[in-house]
Amino acid sequence: MSKCKKEMTRRTFLKTVMAGATLALSGNPPLLQAKEEYDLVVISGEPAAATKKALETLGGISRFVKKGHRIVLKPNMSFARTPEFGATTHPMVVATVAEACIQAGARQVLILDHTLHRAELCLERSGIREACKNISGAHVIAFQERKFFKEIKIPQGKILDRVEVIQEALESDVLINIPVAKSHSATGVSLGIKGLMGLIWDRESFHSRLNINQALADLATVIKPQLTILDASRALTSGGPGGPGEVKKLNLIIAGTDPVAVDSYGVTITPWYGRSFKGRQVEHLLIAHQRGLGKIDTDQLKIYKGTT
Amino acid sequence: MRTILQALSLLLFSLLLFFATYKLPDWFPADIYLRLDPLLGLNAIFAAREMIGRALWGLVTIGATLLIGRFFCAYVCPMGASIDFLHLLFFRKKKRSNLKTESSFRKVKYFLLIVFITAALAGLSLAFFMDPIALLTRFYTFFLYPLSITLVNLFLDVLRPLSKALGWVSLSHLHYFQPVFYMSAITLLIFGGIIALNLIAPRFWCRYLCPLGAMLSLISPLGIFKRKVSEECNECMKCQKNCPMGAIPEDPTKTRLRECIQCRTCVQVCPQNAVTFPATLSIGGEYSKIDFSRRGFIYSMAGGLGAGFLALQTPYTLRQSKFQLLRAPGAIPETEFLRTCIRCGECMKSCLTNTLQPCLWESGFSGLWTPKMDLRLAPCDQNCNVCGKVCPTQAIRSVSLEEKNHAKVGTAILLKEKCLVWAQNKICLICDEICPYNAIVFRPIEGYRRPVVIASKCNGCGFCEQRCPVLGESAIVVVPDGEIRLKEGSYVKEAKKLQLEFKADPGDDKFILEESGFKIESGKKYEKNPQPQKPKGFLQ
Repeated sequence: MSKCKKEMTRRTFLKTVMAGATLALSGNPPLLQAKEEYDLVVISGEPAAATKKALETLGGISRFVKKGHRIVLKPNMSFARTPEFGATTHPMVVATVAEACIQAGARQVLILDHTLHRAELCLERSGIREACKNISGAHVIAFQERKFFKEIKIPQGKILDRVEVIQEALESDVLINIPVAKSHSATGVSLGIKGLMGLIWDRESFHSRLNINQALADLATVIKPQLTILDASRALTSGGPGGPGEVKKLNLIIAGTDPVAVDSYGVTITPWYGRSFKGRQVEHLLIAHQRGLGKIDTDQLKIYKGTT
Repeated sequence: MRTILQALSLLLFSLLLFFATYKLPDWFPADIYLRLDPLLGLNAIFAAREMIGRALWGLVTIGATLLIGRFFCAYVCPMGASIDFLHLLFFRKKKRSNLKTESSFRKVKYFLLIVFITAALAGLSLAFFMDPIALLTRFYTFFLYPLSITLVNLFLDVLRPLSKALGWVSLSHLHYFQPVFYMSAITLLIFGGIIALNLIAPRFWCRYLCPLGAMLSLISPLGIFKRKVSEECNECMKCQKNCPMGAIPEDPTKTRLRECIQCRTCVQVCPQNAVTFPATLSIGGEYSKIDFSRRGFIYSMAGGLGAGFLALQTPYTLRQSKFQLLRAPGAIPETEFLRTCIRCGECMKSCLTNTLQPCLWESGFSGLWTPKMDLRLAPCDQNCNVCGKVCPTQAIRSVSLEEKNHAKVGTAILLKEKCLVWAQNKICLICDEICPYNAIVFRPIEGYRRPVVIASKCNGCGFCEQRCPVLGESAIVVVPDGEIRLKEGSYVKEAKKLQLEFKADPGDDKFILEESGFKIESGKKYEKNPQPQKPKGFLQ
């Protein structure tokens, strides 16, 4: 923990020399404005180190997490698959974010998902419970009972006017989405916005009753993560979302506050099903963009690219 | 002393059953009570006409009974303990003025024993119906276990506001999976009936009905500990009135050795301290004969054969392949399976996902309480192989995870008229998403991308059937077609021979590349420029 803190402060220091700020100012708005200029941060490297660097480059997790906050992290741990399948978020990415939140003073970090497979198997095989077990204040929970969900209205919903969402996610101070990059046989790709489906109770209707792309955009109007950290350390480029499929080691972490921008960039990092695409070619991203939920054209984004 | 041992035995029985679930270590004999039951063992060996390794544990009980006597019923049997404890709870104050110690009803248990053994010889596994260990395991599985989960969850719900207020995060989100079973009510009624029989006489079940008790009583007079009454006896008849087994005849100095379970109640109640249980080599006297007529013997043999005939010569069994149910992976071929399975319910208790359910009449009388897979209710998880591990007769073989995943239980069939994609052009992929083996692929058919099952990759786990969002019967159902059921040998080899491949490894999904051509379902603008090479979900 102390090592991590030291590193963070050193880097923060180096980056803040130009701004003439001191370390104590790292939570100060004037300082952060310099950082906020990046729409996206793309870091190449090992999962934990890259995640750490991405958070620092964005201005530190303390930009989002304040003392005493209750944080909800939403990784993808829906499948009882080990990390090498690429169907779930890398456990080290989740653990790094959770630890950063705790260090920034978060009172509680809940790492949660509505799993598709049996909850205990998902927690066990994704490796996320194991990775987070020594972080005090962090709890990994899988929800498979309706009583933990609460219905909310979607005022701007076009086809979805109400939805049941995990109550803890609604009551949290900060929601951080930590999806994994994967292909999806209905929506093309499953990144941040598609990952929000892990917070709702009735996923089936998205496939049967509703148009999934429209419904996802509706959902994104009410569930707005303050930060999206896309784990592209591995990308399941075919056979998604459950796998097994082709897993490419991309060693990338992409972070940003604009969920559409993160996803749009995520579309471009690797070919899906053997072909290259742009964010505009993913219907649910296009709809979300058209409804003003974020930027979709990556050439208009200010992107920081770096390595660990 | 005896009560403590009984309580411990019941506790051990409950704990073993509690631990019989996912992640059961290989060495842990969760089914040990059932293995120790010589009646179940004999029944399975006779019915299957086969030596069953685990059933040999029954010899331990036989040996101990030969050595000590019928102590099993008083100290070990968890059913006896349940009957005793519930008797204390419900019937303690019941007055029994004229309880006859002599009863021809006593014979019934021997007749039943003969019926069961004969039926087993005829090829019908029937002893499960009244064997106390199997009966109690079923009662625990189908009633007590779901009930206790309900109660625990109820307790957690009541506690939730408090645990939330106190910030106990884990506790405030704790919820245990609620298992559900068909036939819970029937199982409860049978158990309740057995307890209610105590109204007529204490341990009515043990005295008159229990076939396992009958079996042990055949050899119990050989045991070395026997009741002895000294000359201090003043014939107050207290011992006779208190004997839970009615093992003391009119002459209180004598003992019906076959009935005596050495509970030593008579030692405790005797005001003269005249009763002891010394070691002796004599083999009983006049009261130790089995009061058993030749006629009764023949009648019950006929009964057993008749039951065997009735159960086995039915359309269910003659046309088995047409009526087949989905059995657990690793279940031996159906005929042998029905003969070997002792219907204890242990596999259903241990099933991680709750897919294993008891049959009522789905495969006739010979299939009562046998486990079937109800895949609409729950799938079979590829990380779990507990059902085989806990099967006391190995009607479901205990095999490694890899072997188990090759023990194909059936094949998924897509019902196109019901499928949302085939029938309504909806964007549904759930079966493909959830399939652990990539056995479902989307192919361009009539301009749309539609799901297709690759039979050689499907092992029938049923995730697709369970998850299908169509209401009512699933649009994709697993049927027994193509199942692999082996009595011995490797499922992996057999699957290879049949050119099947159940691979859950990543990286074997190349075929998607060639087949990912289709056009988007929604919006007419895309239909104008169909791009058959574009994977699903992407726009122009």
